[in-house]
Amino acid sequence: MRVGSVEWTCPFCSLLCDGFALASREGALVLDGSDCPRARAGLVAHQSRGQPEAFVDGAVASLEAGLAEAARRLAQWRQPLFGGLGTDLAGVRALFRLALRTGAICDHADGEALAAGLRALQDRGQFHTTLAEIRARADLLVCVGTDAVTHYPEFFRRCGLDRDDTPCRRLVFLGAEPPTQLPAHMETPRIAGSGDLLADLQQLATLVGAATCRHADQELAGLAQALRAARYAVLVWEAAALPRQGALAVEMLHRIVMLLNRETRAASFALGGSDGAATAQQAFTWLSGLPLRTRLQAADPEHDPVRFAGERLLADGAVDGLLWTWSWTPERLPSVADLPRVVLGPPGMGPRLRQAGAARDCVFLPVATPGLNAAGHLFRTDGTVVPLVAARDDALPGVDRVAASLLEALP
Amino acid sequence: MSTRRLRGGRVFDPANGIAGEVRDVVMRDGRIAELDPRAAVDEEIDASGCIVLAGGIDLHSHIGGGKVNLARLLLPRHQCTPSALATGRHYAEMGYTSVFEPAMAASDARQAHLQMGDVPIVDHGAYVMLGNDETLLELLAQGADPQLVRDYVGWVVHATKALGVKVVNPAGISAFKFNQRKLDVDEAHVHWGVTPRQVIRALARAVHDLGLAHPLHIHCSNLGVAGNIASTLATMDALEGLPGHLTHVQFHSYGTEGPHKFSSAALELAEALDAHPNCSIDIGQVLFGQTVTASADTMRQYANVDFASPHKAVLADLDGDSGCGVLPFRYREQSYVNALQWSIGLELFLQVRDPWRVVLTTDHPNGAPFTSYPHLMRLLMNKPFRDEQLARLHPEVAEQSALKHITRELSLEEIATMTRAAPARLLGLRDRGHLGPGAAADVAVYREQGNAEVMFAHAAWVYKDGEPVVRDGEVRASPVGATHFAEVQFDAGVQRLLDARGDAPLGLHRHHAVIGRDELCACCNGGRLFAWACEPRSP
Repeated sequence: MRVGSVEWTCPFCSLLCDGFALASREGALVLDGSDCPRARAGLVAHQSRGQPEAFVDGAVASLEAGLAEAARRLAQWRQPLFGGLGTDLAGVRALFRLALRTGAICDHADGEALAAGLRALQDRGQFHTTLAEIRARADLLVCVGTDAVTHYPEFFRRCGLDRDDTPCRRLVFLGAEPPTQLPAHMETPRIAGSGDLLADLQQLATLVGAATCRHADQELAGLAQALRAARYAVLVWEAAALPRQGALAVEMLHRIVMLLNRETRAASFALGGSDGAATAQQAFTWLSGLPLRTRLQAADPEHDPVRFAGERLLADGAVDGLLWTWSWTPERLPSVADLPRVVLGPPGMGPRLRQAGAARDCVFLPVATPGLNAAGHLFRTDGTVVPLVAARDDALPGVDRVAASLLEALP
Repeated sequence: MSTRRLRGGRVFDPANGIAGEVRDVVMRDGRIAELDPRAAVDEEIDASGCIVLAGGIDLHSHIGGGKVNLARLLLPRHQCTPSALATGRHYAEMGYTSVFEPAMAASDARQAHLQMGDVPIVDHGAYVMLGNDETLLELLAQGADPQLVRDYVGWVVHATKALGVKVVNPAGISAFKFNQRKLDVDEAHVHWGVTPRQVIRALARAVHDLGLAHPLHIHCSNLGVAGNIASTLATMDALEGLPGHLTHVQFHSYGTEGPHKFSSAALELAEALDAHPNCSIDIGQVLFGQTVTASADTMRQYANVDFASPHKAVLADLDGDSGCGVLPFRYREQSYVNALQWSIGLELFLQVRDPWRVVLTTDHPNGAPFTSYPHLMRLLMNKPFRDEQLARLHPEVAEQSALKHITRELSLEEIATMTRAAPARLLGLRDRGHLGPGAAADVAVYREQGNAEVMFAHAAWVYKDGEPVVRDGEVRASPVGATHFAEVQFDAGVQRLLDARGDAPLGLHRHHAVIGRDELCACCNGGRLFAWACEPRSP
């Protein structure tokens, strides 16, 4: 039933699938052409279309009054944290200007996973690829420490593994349980490894580089051989599924890719950066010259991936106010309730703050969700910027407009 | 509504044949105007003791797109990887008012426009890269009709809102994805069977037939390889008389003579340019110090991975149409190769006779950051200063460089040509790069002094569209820059070809492939859009 359906790009994970359609059934938006659980969950979370309400300390306020009060409080904070940063490109741009003016430290809600990938990149670099390249030429795909599809349900389809003409012959799971549903027409072996992903990657790097290794794990030796024999191997990793000290694992994985490229072709592919994380990381980097976990000051911005980790600052009580922005699921509330907060979230987040007893010392301002009830742009996990369309109009302001209004209202 | 008169400056406006005459320049409502010297104005600026030039135009500087940001992530806060905000400000301080990103991957067009939209003050635009996209290579492999190729190129320009078309290592970036490690001009791509010569010819023809003002922008085969002058000359030959702009030629003018099998072929290129009036160049000068090299040429960047300093690199295969290689690099005076590269760039500047076909660039950040332009200008304008620098280099280069015997010093008029008039003409920006009536009032005023480096580093005044943006070398206003793009005509039937290829052409669903004007405006922060209509030329 595609009658009345609209072309839609799903904003609810960083694959940003752009071949979907949405149908409207009894007032609800229903996914057409996919059974992606993540997309469905995202739509269900936004099904309710109650009257959006701003509040100040739990008491309903007009948007104007809420904005004015939020700006007044924001101006009083001596060291604000801009957390969450779950928004689209226009929202990030506007929050950046506000952060520059208020000297805020900025980090995304999933900043820890971002930081691991960034650290590995800054230490040694990487050789990565994109979805289109995987579809066109990857004959061996290795999922390292992740089954890929638990958090990115459409990943294998986006890699073209369900197509008859896929060049992929082998899909390997290293240190991860394969999912129950696997693409047909290809081998899908699991390599259990030692249970220590870092040690396994270390051994794999040795095997790939030197071909011999004392007491080698036979399965790893087989994988190394397959990697060397592949025409275009891709090692897939997931930022949020990394073990502790994940940057070391990523660095090892990049090393394997670089070694392979001496003779054949290979690349890495990272799954991560959902909910605007990649977008915030990229846009902050070009705007300030520095990635997230930076304190913005007009004269001299300061970057420190450890000291300026958002959750750490909150846990240590090292900031005196939090501007939390989360345009996606209404459930993701700030992790603290005893700190002055300004919260920008979808309308459903307001009642949840109240229910959680987190409405005191808090100004809540409802905002639109890019890709649902607002247009916008997000970075896909492979670095491509994808445009989003609004599937419906709820007459809500975007984060960009709210942040711009806050900037204007600052005393 | 405002009228400003710059009174009594020495004006250098090569496009209008003015070379150092003392005269007034009047700006009215954002344009250069003719006005009676006695007529009243809103503001009069005493420009005596100053030189007055049109705003500078950089036609090849990597200021926006995925690889620029990867460079920022790799070397945070270095002067070779400034933020978008700092980029606009530093360009304006030097009197530049337009800057063009030369390597926009089609699939990365939105990011390029977004980043450029955040570069304040300067106007901008980009050349979209073709010639490694699987669509074009397949068309050529099938021997497609040149009209179909033209329509496809037209569609890509339209979809990505590009001002021009660039080719990087023709077919070579793609070949590397198939594990081919080198590709000469007449060597076949291992999978598609297409040669770089075919790609050059097809693209130059398409660009010409579409009526794009800027000739095909060409990053030749074999970047950085000793002896690559042969492939550079073969590329000029492949154009078969059609216009072509050879970019960062310093990296493509190497011979194989001498004990190190690495020598200057600058004179050969200069002579070839005399014989090929259809060709123009920019230099890509190397200057010493830390920088980062960022190129779509994955094949050649990968080959240099072991030379990266600090030793790290980001490389990528991108969306069936491009690639990326970002390597930090430190050019050292005591390195024979680096010293010779420095010399070759300067030899090219000084040996090519026609300044209208040479544009001053460092291929920012590849040869050096753009902030070193004033230093480069001093090297070009001052023989004793040049000799002093040469004496500090690797002894063999200091001893043998042809530079020792080149006495030419570029004049202010020639500098104005290479940094204003020539790039404007090569890009078809008819109302930029000069100070004639009706031109955009983008004007740079410098306090005249003996040291060109000091003079050009900090303009006394810079006006953007008639409004002051810089005073005494400091930015006073940061307006949003405009976006230049080409409006081409092509047969919409090409859509059938694209539909058949699904999301292959741009790595996006076909419904999202085209950037509309409203979207472009939003990406570019609401800056003005300058659409340059192209008149198709008959084949």
